[in-house]
Amino acid sequence: MDNLPVMQFRDVVKVYPLPAGDVVALDGVSFQVDRGEFISVMGPSGSGKSTLLNLMGCLDTPTSGDIWISGNAIRDMSDAELTSLRRDRIGFIFQYFNLFPLLNIIENVTFPMMLKTGKGVDPERGKEVLRAVQLDDKLFTHTPTELSGGQQQRVAIARALINNPDILLCDEPTGNLDSKTGAGIMELMSDLNRKGTTIIMVTHDPNIASYSRRTIRIADGRIVS
Amino acid sequence: MSIFWEIAKRNIRVHFLRSALAMLGIVIGVVAIVSMGILGNAMVAMVSETISSVGDSVVVYPYFGSAGMGGGNIANLRITDQQFQQIKRVVAPNVAVPVQSASERMKIGVGGDDIIATVYGVDPQYIPDLRFDLEAGSNNNANSGCMVGSTFAKDNNIKVGSRISLGSDGSKGTLRVTGIIKQRGMSFDISTDNAVVVTRDWFENSYDRKDYDNVVVKVKQGQDSAAITTTIEKQMNKRDKVVMAMDSKVVLGAINDMVGQVTLFVVAIGGISMIVAGVSIFNIMMMSVSERIKEIGIMRSIGTQKKEVMSMFVYEAVIIGVVGSAIGGVMSLLGGYAINVLILKSTKYLFTIPNAISIAQGVAFGIVVCIACGIYPAWKAANMNPIDALRHE
Repeated sequence: MDNLPVMQFRDVVKVYPLPAGDVVALDGVSFQVDRGEFISVMGPSGSGKSTLLNLMGCLDTPTSGDIWISGNAIRDMSDAELTSLRRDRIGFIFQYFNLFPLLNIIENVTFPMMLKTGKGVDPERGKEVLRAVQLDDKLFTHTPTELSGGQQQRVAIARALINNPDILLCDEPTGNLDSKTGAGIMELMSDLNRKGTTIIMVTHDPNIASYSRRTIRIADGRIVS
Repeated sequence: MSIFWEIAKRNIRVHFLRSALAMLGIVIGVVAIVSMGILGNAMVAMVSETISSVGDSVVVYPYFGSAGMGGGNIANLRITDQQFQQIKRVVAPNVAVPVQSASERMKIGVGGDDIIATVYGVDPQYIPDLRFDLEAGSNNNANSGCMVGSTFAKDNNIKVGSRISLGSDGSKGTLRVTGIIKQRGMSFDISTDNAVVVTRDWFENSYDRKDYDNVVVKVKQGQDSAAITTTIEKQMNKRDKVVMAMDSKVVLGAINDMVGQVTLFVVAIGGISMIVAGVSIFNIMMMSVSERIKEIGIMRSIGTQKKEVMSMFVYEAVIIGVVGSAIGGVMSLLGGYAINVLILKSTKYLFTIPNAISIAQGVAFGIVVCIACGIYPAWKAANMNPIDALRHE
């Protein structure tokens, strides 16, 4: 199991049919992500980065080609199966943090765990993960709007980690933070990676990409390096 | 409860005013439906109480269809003794009671004003068959005595032993009251409440006629009143149509049907307000969904199933529906009380099983309307494309 790549793309093509003509967003993309890697995906806007991110996050399925997530082929999966896969295998980190305003910090963090178990969870588990992302204990019962951007992103990372995913999928994780706070977040991610978390990060910022150990460059729907 | 129930609750709290207004709509809808239902139930109860329940009877009248059309004298149409004997044979073993009646001027005691009331002539041997309950005195079997109805007695301050002079200036003689008949309500055989019941002999002597105004057939238990009605009509009208028979059960059924239809109609009018309430629920649910498209996208992307997203919005509709309908149920009891007091001037029809059913139905309908109006918005939320929802600003 551990020898399997956590993610594998083979000849993946994604075409968006539009009235003005089909748009080929990804054109035969193949790559593999092994356990423990820290990869950044870079490319100019319109290169197919977002499409690639949606496919890696199982939010979309390819027009042709195959994708495996932790050994599971997603091609013929139903919506419910893809949703379960996202819940159990993938942790999402967004540019705009995307915490739930109606839930407090602990509830935000334990939300994916409640989805998985279908019942209430021990808040201690949430606190444990929040401490791992270096969030101050006294913030645990606050609501997201009461936290700074950097603090919110730490909560979002904790939420992504709570179900012990195989992959942490990050979309411009520092894009909405000042450089100092962003650096703090990147330090945290590097630290998580050193402890074994596989991270794939989409960014257009070379400074941020420098934290990763491998970079996939994409242009016009193809991997260029 | 699940986290989605908690989120639904908090969302209602955050948008309290808007949720409260939607609840108000449901409250009004439930109150409208239930209070109309309560009014209808009270009408049914009142009608059934007014109509005497002294057992089934078939009343046979002379046929006046042709006389009425051709200008003949309806007052002169009566049932002859020969026809009565025939009816008696046809309906045996049920008892046929011949009844004579007239409207008469009379005076109570000495020096009172003239009043007009119905006088019934009934042979004393049939009095037990008519099952009068007496509230005072005893059955009359003498030509010098009479019985009176309770309303008549109360209105004219009559007691057992009082004297009534019949006819203009007592021309038809004076009778002593021997008994007062308990209230029977609007009866199909003899409406005694506002009448004087005399013996057949006295009636025949005073009015100088021997035929009858109608014949009351008292249907014995276990006998079919409809069949008896048909038999009478068939046997008596062989050559010409001379009598018509009316089944009390059929008439009662027709009245109840009519009241039921009226109730249904007014409840339907109440239902319109429920539809309006439903539209407002639909509206706020759609608002709730469109405000939270991004949130739905986040939920879906981190692994929330469609049905879980749907449940969150359905819970919201359920909370509004249950709270609104429950308040509506309580309010409609107050509304029903007001209607009973203002329109019917009595609250004795309020705490009844039909009203409890009306309230339960109204509350259930309110909840169902809320959930039904929440389902499409919830479905729409659940089936959004997560990528588009995530990108939504």
